[in-house]
Amino acid sequence: MDTLKENLQTEEFWVNMGPQHPSTHGVLYLEVKLSGETVVDLITHIGYLHRGMEKIAENRTYTQFIPFTDRLDYIAAMGNNLGYVLAVENLMKSVVNDRAKYIRVIIAELQRVASHLVGITTFAQDLGAFATPLFYGFREREKIVELFDEICGNRLTYNYMRIGGLQFDLPKGSDEKIRAIVKYMRPKIDDLESLFSSNVIFTARTKGVGVLTKEKAINYSVTGPNLRASGVKWDLRKDEPYLCYDRFNFDIPTGANGDSWDRYKVRIEEMRQSLRIVEQAIGGLPEGDPTVKIGRIIKPAPGETYMRTEAPRGELGFYIVSDGSTYPYRMKIRSPSFSNLAVLSELAKGIKIADVVCLLGSLDIVMGDIDR
Amino acid sequence: MVSILTFIVMLVAGAVVLGFISVSAMFLIWWERKVSAHIQTRYGPMRVGWHGILQSLADVIKLLLKENITPEGVDKPVWWLAPFFAVVPSVMVFVCIPFGSLFGINLIARDLNIGILYIMALTSICVLGIFMAGWGSNNKYSLLGGMRSAAQIVSYEVPLIISMVTAAMFAGTLSMQKIVEAQKNMWFVFQPNMALAFIIFVISATAEINRTPFDIPEAESELVAGFHTEYSGMKFAMFFLGEYTNLFIVSALAATLFLGGWQGPFLPPVLWFLIKTYGIITVLMWVRWTFPRVRVDQLMSFAWKVLTPIALANLVVAGWILLR
Amino acid sequence: MISYFKEIIIGAWSLVRGLFVTFKNLFSRAVTIQYPTQKLSMTERYRGLADLRVEKCIKCYMCVKICPTGCLSLAHKENAEKKKEFEHFKYNMELCCFCGMCEQVCPTQAIYMNKIYEIAVYDRGKITHIDLLNTEKYGEWAHPTVK
Repeated sequence: MDTLKENLQTEEFWVNMGPQHPSTHGVLYLEVKLSGETVVDLITHIGYLHRGMEKIAENRTYTQFIPFTDRLDYIAAMGNNLGYVLAVENLMKSVVNDRAKYIRVIIAELQRVASHLVGITTFAQDLGAFATPLFYGFREREKIVELFDEICGNRLTYNYMRIGGLQFDLPKGSDEKIRAIVKYMRPKIDDLESLFSSNVIFTARTKGVGVLTKEKAINYSVTGPNLRASGVKWDLRKDEPYLCYDRFNFDIPTGANGDSWDRYKVRIEEMRQSLRIVEQAIGGLPEGDPTVKIGRIIKPAPGETYMRTEAPRGELGFYIVSDGSTYPYRMKIRSPSFSNLAVLSELAKGIKIADVVCLLGSLDIVMGDIDR
Repeated sequence: MVSILTFIVMLVAGAVVLGFISVSAMFLIWWERKVSAHIQTRYGPMRVGWHGILQSLADVIKLLLKENITPEGVDKPVWWLAPFFAVVPSVMVFVCIPFGSLFGINLIARDLNIGILYIMALTSICVLGIFMAGWGSNNKYSLLGGMRSAAQIVSYEVPLIISMVTAAMFAGTLSMQKIVEAQKNMWFVFQPNMALAFIIFVISATAEINRTPFDIPEAESELVAGFHTEYSGMKFAMFFLGEYTNLFIVSALAATLFLGGWQGPFLPPVLWFLIKTYGIITVLMWVRWTFPRVRVDQLMSFAWKVLTPIALANLVVAGWILLR
Repeated sequence: MISYFKEIIIGAWSLVRGLFVTFKNLFSRAVTIQYPTQKLSMTERYRGLADLRVEKCIKCYMCVKICPTGCLSLAHKENAEKKKEFEHFKYNMELCCFCGMCEQVCPTQAIYMNKIYEIAVYDRGKITHIDLLNTEKYGEWAHPTVK
């Protein structure tokens, strides 16, 4: 037996996952060192979708940059729109009226639901539930996207928020439609949950996989649902309220273990909470005109600002330096997926290659957000 | 002269079997696409023919016309032979599958008295084709897929064969035709311990033919396409054909061994056989489009810790019932 | 021993519940449409290609200035009566990001986004140099219905 062991040589080998691979959510390139099926080492390479957004911002006026924010996290474009216009409004110290605030909250929360639907169902797709949950998720998301199409005229790149207000008011009858969506969405989320949560294969694949401890999550500055799944109760909507989130009742779901299962569960729960917020906001929607004109040329006073919002994937921050001209002097985007992805190579060590895919899906990254 | 006549009959029978296999595979591909589409609330193929029924034919023509790419660095003989190893054994299994009788002719090529043994032997060869494809491709993903498949198929053969043996014990014969005849009064599946054997058979057969939730050899989300990543054109079509032939075979076996084969009232036996077989296939498709995939270590532990002990216990119970 | 069987039974039941969800959907109506034969109607605010009401345009250059990608190019000259006259007004759809800023900023609603969404062409020149002054420019393109 001993001689056999001496003569038997095993080799670790590198496998390239991506940039073209079915489950890397875009153009992510992972170098995985495998010993059999077990991951020994994992290196992430990013930058295949780099468009130089931060440099582009320096050559665009403040208004002109709004369409570009749609292309950051393209699954949740409204969240980026909102983050950016709030940052510029912060820089200009202007305030929007109540109706605009309420509509922004409704839109942002519906976008969160749409984004989490995509996140959860692509996660299930990564686990091998081939296309079926994905189609259900997209069918449900379609209701929200159609509503957005009616409100702002596009399905993916909305370009809806404006500095000082909104591009349009809600069209007539859309509050009824929003109520209908909330009503439609609740049983569908339950359906999705019964497709996954109780499923013994799904639980076996996700529970205990890629455990992200509280300390590690904070050290890697992981944010959003991934952080909350690790048991940290940190949500900017509650802890640092912007817009009018302090007027609504909602809970912050947290997980206990920080594994893939918790990350999934937190997202499901967050969708329910978002629907609660939407319901309250549509109930208290004030009358008026949200499309406030603050002048065509936006020229903030010299200074700098950092505004962070709770985008569906985590903390989205815009750091803007103004030199008093119509162009920003410097803009830095702190995108949630970037920090969330950074933790991958740490978590991947020692797990199976199938779990790398599971882990990546549960982190719910968007490459447009990472590479910018 | 007799020998020439036999030869001609053999040729015709062979052509009929091959024709049936390819038509059945094409139908199954279309059916799978339709079932998956309707589960996912979409239409599926709709353009070619009535509700896209000729879609698979168009796809086959496309695959036939495609270039056959041989990547550099493949182990040529192994790489070339692999698709044949994947298809030929499954075609050979058709020799002793009883389709029932039509106009007084028994539609079974050769009712071997060791039918089940023959089938077990041939289904074990299928793994060779997959493993050869994985090894010969000289691709890391394919290698992983081939390795996984070897481990998986060898493990799941144990409960599969034990549950088949349970059926053979109750029938008291290894001949497929006689097993069907033994179920004249009552299908085996209505006896409690045979029902268990049926479930074990279906589960391990799903693993044997690499379908979700046990499709880890070709696990798309991690291994791209597993063992057939490097294959294209006609060779890929061969793997596809083998896959759907295997699907038909395991469903036909389940129907024969546990659901009374071609037996049934009113309708002609052939029809009964096909209804049962395609019914099981549809259930397998429904399962495929619902569940996620299990991980490779979970798959192995499920085979050895759950399926095999239960199958063995079931075998013992079956023996006790028979000897009582 | 009991827990071993309990686990198996609970697991099997959970799988059956999953099957039930897909079964329910198997007989529900398809939500997709058969695209080339069946077409969706666009929403009222849908942003398709940029289009121009030539007579309304006052050549104020607001749209050219606001465009984030610089896909509009406009030039004018003054005629004998000191009135502005078009030299050219070109639209490069390849660069356009369909943000609708030009429509929003136009003081006379001269430039607007129409509802055309089938914008694939064989000849690239057809989309890089769209002459907005030509009234027949979108004549051969499919015009969808509006809700």
